[in-house]
This record gives sequence, structure tokens and C-alpha cells, in this order.
Amino acid sequence: MSGTTFYLCLGVVLWLLGLHGLLRLQQTLRRIMAINVMGSSTFMVMVALASRDGHNDPVLQALVVTGLVVAVSATAFALRLAVAHQPRRSSRQSTREPGE
Amino acid sequence: MTLALASLLLPLGTALLMLALRLRSGNWVIVASLGSLLCAGLALNQVLDQGLQTLVIGGWRTPLGIRFELSTLTALLLIFTAMTHLLVAIYAQYSRHSQTRDTDYWPLSSLLHASLAALWLSRDLFNWYVTLELLGLVAVAMIILSGPKAYAPALRYLLLSLAASLCYLLGVALLYGRYGVLDLDLLAQASQADHSTRMALLLMTVGLMLKAALWPLHLWLPAAHSSAPTAVSALLSALVVKGPLFILWLLWSRVAPLEMTESAGLLFALAGIVALLSGGWAALRTPLLKRLVAYSTVAQLGYALLALGLLLRWQQSELSVALWLFVLAHGLAKVSMFLAAGEMQATLGSRRVASLKGATQTMPVAMFAFAVAGGSLIGLPPSGGFVAKWVLLQPLLAEPIHWPWALGVLIGTLASAAYVFRVVALSFDRAEATPPNFNPDPFAQWLALLPAIAVWGLALFSQPLIRWLTEASG
Repeated sequence: MSGTTFYLCLGVVLWLLGLHGLLRLQQTLRRIMAINVMGSSTFMVMVALASRDGHNDPVLQALVVTGLVVAVSATAFALRLAVAHQPRRSSRQSTREPGE
Repeated sequence: MTLALASLLLPLGTALLMLALRLRSGNWVIVASLGSLLCAGLALNQVLDQGLQTLVIGGWRTPLGIRFELSTLTALLLIFTAMTHLLVAIYAQYSRHSQTRDTDYWPLSSLLHASLAALWLSRDLFNWYVTLELLGLVAVAMIILSGPKAYAPALRYLLLSLAASLCYLLGVALLYGRYGVLDLDLLAQASQADHSTRMALLLMTVGLMLKAALWPLHLWLPAAHSSAPTAVSALLSALVVKGPLFILWLLWSRVAPLEMTESAGLLFALAGIVALLSGGWAALRTPLLKRLVAYSTVAQLGYALLALGLLLRWQQSELSVALWLFVLAHGLAKVSMFLAAGEMQATLGSRRVASLKGATQTMPVAMFAFAVAGGSLIGLPPSGGFVAKWVLLQPLLAEPIHWPWALGVLIGTLASAAYVFRVVALSFDRAEATPPNFNPDPFAQWLALLPAIAVWGLALFSQPLIRWLTEASG
């Protein structure tokens, strides 16, 4: 039981750390990594909850697997979008676009 | 139930086929939306005949399996989703100014349709997480169709949407850890007002409010919705923000224990009134036309939030009728407004509100659509917006102690009137009309008028609508 509590608390601390990073950091890559920290800590909480009664709860573990798939695809998409966004930022300093 | 499933599977199948075969023709999506609309209509008919229907997927019983439920409200929302998709697809295919012909818009919009339908049908917390994540990813992918200028707002939207999903997921994990079930009905029976439930509901509420752009977590919406292509803006404002709202409503009206709903309801209602004011003010001040329409979404969601808050505070289920009437009326009006705004912007060659000078002369149909849709947003009788406001006001006016809330509705109405009349007044300034830079497209303008007329027609249809929604919430 103490192991479960330990991992639960660790998960919550990591989640808050990730949230802090997302809100405070400026660079896109770091913000994406902050979201990944949040995601992993959520899964850690779920895995810790899954083994709280001494035996494993397969439902939560299945949810974590589903969540991992979602997280991987979302991260891939975010990274691709960040890469597409990046060159534009460096070129904008030289020529400002008319309009907005 | 089979029909409702067909309404979900048709767009899903279309999306997958288009992706696999590299088809990018809009006619497929139009046909699929039409089929989905028919199925949804028949599903509504079936639900009215036979009552609530449930489906346990794969035959697995509820503590383990996922349950789909078809209620009257779900059927109405399926019809609404399919109808909006059909209209917007016809616009995106046949308007001359559409930027989305032969692009990835088509599979993405079908996927959006399917994930929304799955969201309306699900009654399972984790399944909702998956549909929310799908909605968010597809919405971002659709925003970046308008090119590099949309990358920055799209990236911001994506990051916030992912963080919101994780917030929601952590809440789901806590609830599961406490009660060991994910099904909505089972949770509703088990839930108690203790610390872990409180914490879980708080996390889920923050996540959902961020996704639904409810004040004060709405800041990403105006940039994201206004930088998308016109057809996508219409879909995002009319449909996508309503998905998380649906979950929020079910969560608070079914799962949350009574001890918590009263104080939370007060906060929701106050946030709703502030949203009406701040969204209306921002819409009044912004120089860009599409951003004005996007800010008006923030403001109009305030009505839904106010209805939700008062529903929770007083436990009056007829207020959820008001909530869903607002959602339907706002969705139709917003499609019309975005399509009209997109047409005017493309024809006049400027994104600024100021360029609409004399638009009643140069583009009468589009301007008329904008004004008619605006009339419903203000709540002029006999529009759908008026019916919704009337249902909301009835319990407010019944007891003198509730009158201050009616004042909030009044202020919200004035704010909406202010930004709608800002545009309409400018368009009657015919002395120095802005000449159109490009050929106007009459068909697209008439198409924009169609949902605006439908939202006024909603008033004629309001009696059965209110009855069905009352059944759904009772």
C-alpha cells in the first residue's frame, strides 16, 4: 500500500511540474515535452491505482495502453506542426507580413 | 440504435476510404452526410416511438464494456451535426471562394463528424476522453489547412487542448480509483461528496471548460477559429465547442453529488454572465470581421454556461431545455454568420470590419444572412434564440428573488445587439460603399442564408422541440 501511495504522490508532483512547465516555458519543444511529462505522470497515477489492492486491475492497464497510443500520435502531430511553424518564425524577423 | 450507429459509421467509413484511396472529392462527403442525416432522422423517430435505447458494444456488460445510449437529445444532436456538416460540405464544394476544395478538408471533416457522433452516443468517461482527443486533433488539423499564417494559433490550440485532455484524464483516473467504474449511470448511483470526487470533478471541469472555450479559459478560441478556412470556422464554432459542453452537462447534472452542485452552479452562472459581457465587449472592439464572429461565440457560450449554472443551483431540469435550445440556435446562426462573413471577406478582399461599408448594396444576400443570424443571436422574436431565451427567462421571472439573474440576461442581450448592429449599421452606410474586388458568388450567399432562415424556423417548430428536450432531461 505504501508503494502505491508513493507512486501516486510522485505522479501528482510530476503532473504539477509538467503543468508548470507548460505555462511558464516559451519554446515550443519544451512545452511539448512538458505535456509529455503531464501525460506520463497521469499514466503513472493510473498504474499506481491499478495495483492498489495487491492485485492488478486490468481495466486501468488497458486504459493506460490506449492513452499511450493517443499520447504518441498527439505528440507526433504536435512535433510536425512545431517543425512547420519554426522556419517561418526566423523569416518573419526579416520581412514582416502585411495584414495583421 | 442501428440507425444511430449508421449515422456514426457512414462518415467514419467515408473518412477511412478517402484516406486509403487518396480521394479528395467533396461529393462523397456530401452523399455521406446526407445518408447520415437520414439515419439520424429515422433514429429520432425510433426513439420517439420506443423510448431510450442502449447498446453495450461487443456484448460486454457495463462495468467492463462501453455503453452507447440513444436518447432524444442524442438523436437531435446527431441530426444537428449531420445537417451542419451537409450544409458546410455543400458550401466547401460549390462556393467559388472556398479554399478547401480538393484538399485534406474532406477526410478530416468526415472524421470530425464521426467523432462528434461518437461523443453524443457515448456514456463512458474514458470513451469520452478518446473522442475529445480525436475532436481536438482533427480540429487543429483542419485549422492549419489555411496555410502557414494559421500555424501559430493552431499550435497554441493543440498544446492547450492536449493539456486539457490530460487534466480530464487525471480526473477520470481519480474517479475510477475511487469508485471502480467508468459508466455514467453507475457513477451517478455511487458518487458521494468526498475529497477525491471533488478533486476529480474540479480537474475534469477545468479540462472541459478549456476545450469548450468557456470563460475564463476561452483565450485560444478567437485566434484559432478566425484563422481557419471559412468552412472550418463554421464547423468549429457551431459544433466542436459543444462536445465538451455536453460532457460537462452530463457530468454535473448526473454524477455530481447534490452538496456540490449548488456552489458550483453559482460559479458557472457568474462565469456565464462575465463571458457574455467580455465576449460582447471584445466583439465590439475587434477590427477583424471573422474575429468578431469568433468572439461572439465566446459570448454566446455564456448563455449556455448561465443556463447550466442555474440548472445546477436550483435543480430545475427545464433549464437544460434552455441550454440545448441555445446550443442548437447558436450553432445554426453561427454557421450562417461564418459563411456570410467568409463570403464578404473573400469578395471585398479585406478581412476588416470597416470594409463592410455599404455591403447592403454590394452584397445584399450575404449581409441579409449575417443580419438574420445576428437577430437570432440577439434573441429577437420569433427566432430560435428567442425561444431559448424565453425558456431560460421563465423560471427567472417567476420569483422576485431570481430577478437579478434576468438582469444578467438583459445585459447579455444588449451586448449581442451592440456587436451585431455595429456590422449592420456599417453596411447601410452606402455613401462610400467598398467596391467588390472579386466576383460575388450568389449561390454561396444564398447557402449562407439557409441556416439563418432555419434558425428562425426553429421557433415554429419549438413546441415539439421543447417537449422532446423535456423528455430527454426528465
